[in-house]
Amino acid sequence: MTELERALVALGRRLDIPPEPDLRSRVRERIERRPRYRRAVVLALAVLVVAFGIALAVPPARSAILRFFHIGAVTIERVETLPAVRERSLAAGLGPPLPLREAEARSGVPLVLAGSRPQRFYAQPGLIATLLRYEGKPVLLAELQGNQTGLVKKFATPTTRIEPAAIGSFGVWLEGGKHVLIWIAASGEIRQVEPRLAGNVLIWTEGNRTYRLEGALNKGQMLELGQQITR
Amino acid sequence: MGRPLDESDLIGRAKRGDNHAYEELVYAHQGIAFRTAYVIAGNAADAEDAAQDAFVKAWRALGRFREGAPFRPWLLQIVANEARNRRRSTGRRTHLALRAAAEQPSGDAAPSPEASLLSAEVRDALLAAVNELPEDQRTVIALRFFVGLSEHEVAEALSLPEGTVKSRSARALERLRESYD
Repeated sequence: MTELERALVALGRRLDIPPEPDLRSRVRERIERRPRYRRAVVLALAVLVVAFGIALAVPPARSAILRFFHIGAVTIERVETLPAVRERSLAAGLGPPLPLREAEARSGVPLVLAGSRPQRFYAQPGLIATLLRYEGKPVLLAELQGNQTGLVKKFATPTTRIEPAAIGSFGVWLEGGKHVLIWIAASGEIRQVEPRLAGNVLIWTEGNRTYRLEGALNKGQMLELGQQITR
Repeated sequence: MGRPLDESDLIGRAKRGDNHAYEELVYAHQGIAFRTAYVIAGNAADAEDAAQDAFVKAWRALGRFREGAPFRPWLLQIVANEARNRRRSTGRRTHLALRAAAEQPSGDAAPSPEASLLSAEVRDALLAAVNELPEDQRTVIALRFFVGLSEHEVAEALSLPEGTVKSRSARALERLRESYD
């Protein structure tokens, strides 16, 4: 350590940093408290799930919903034949990895992801993405701002299951047969970013934001991870 | 009396929902969490809120914590995020200050040898120079020398590559040397 570095350490000891507060009781209180609004959200979601189930059970309604529906910035379409695409890595087509600030500047989307953050991010107009690890598996998190700037289309085969998911304002879980994912930036020009086959996906909206998680996790694991992202 | 609990035991128990185990982790790390938040946010109220929110968010994100990894850098990354968000939302540039002259460093009966090396004049000049550093360099210097984190921990806390921390630190020390020499 140089003399200057030793002087900085000495200076640090003389700084006016208040004594540390004891945070234990307040942290305990907050982690033990289940917010009251959650009960209301659970109820509202239960109603939505039932409504969604009824809609899927009625043939004319099923046909209408499964052909085309929106969740925030995401559009899901069911088609007879998938476009010809291949398996690619989770972050394929999203551009080069960037540091957080640069990715936020390029995408125009400030990252919400709570908790510890990876060091590499991907940016497209209206979309910021990163790779997380959960239960030892890679998971792609994409956050999309608004419902115009970044538009994602998905084509599901008939073997893909689509279920409501209890997360955010509205959530959907896609599992089973492979589906095709196409990122489209809709800021003036329509641009397709490398279509590819996608795995299990959880999509939900909260406020003006759409979240999308993709990876080889089951629904329960994906919901656990999803709930950690926005808290 | 039982043996002191290993941190990985506490983390394992906390991951399984044991609030008491997590409380022990909070107790063990709240000091460094608060100081980290303070040097970034620049005031006690924001630092306390940032540290508290970080512990709550860390609890909720424990499922993503990699088994066997050190807890402190992971936690400090969350703390630093919270503190930076608060600093950005206030938009104020804050300045670190010295304790009043009569006060001794907490817990010290007498000034440490390093502290006695610094005259009041040099101390003031050095602190003024630190406060004048660009924000990104000042944060690295504060975390490294005032909080006592290693370069690796600073890199983790600020979500930066270690090389970036080294270069920011070198640039900052170069500037500070002008005030110190």
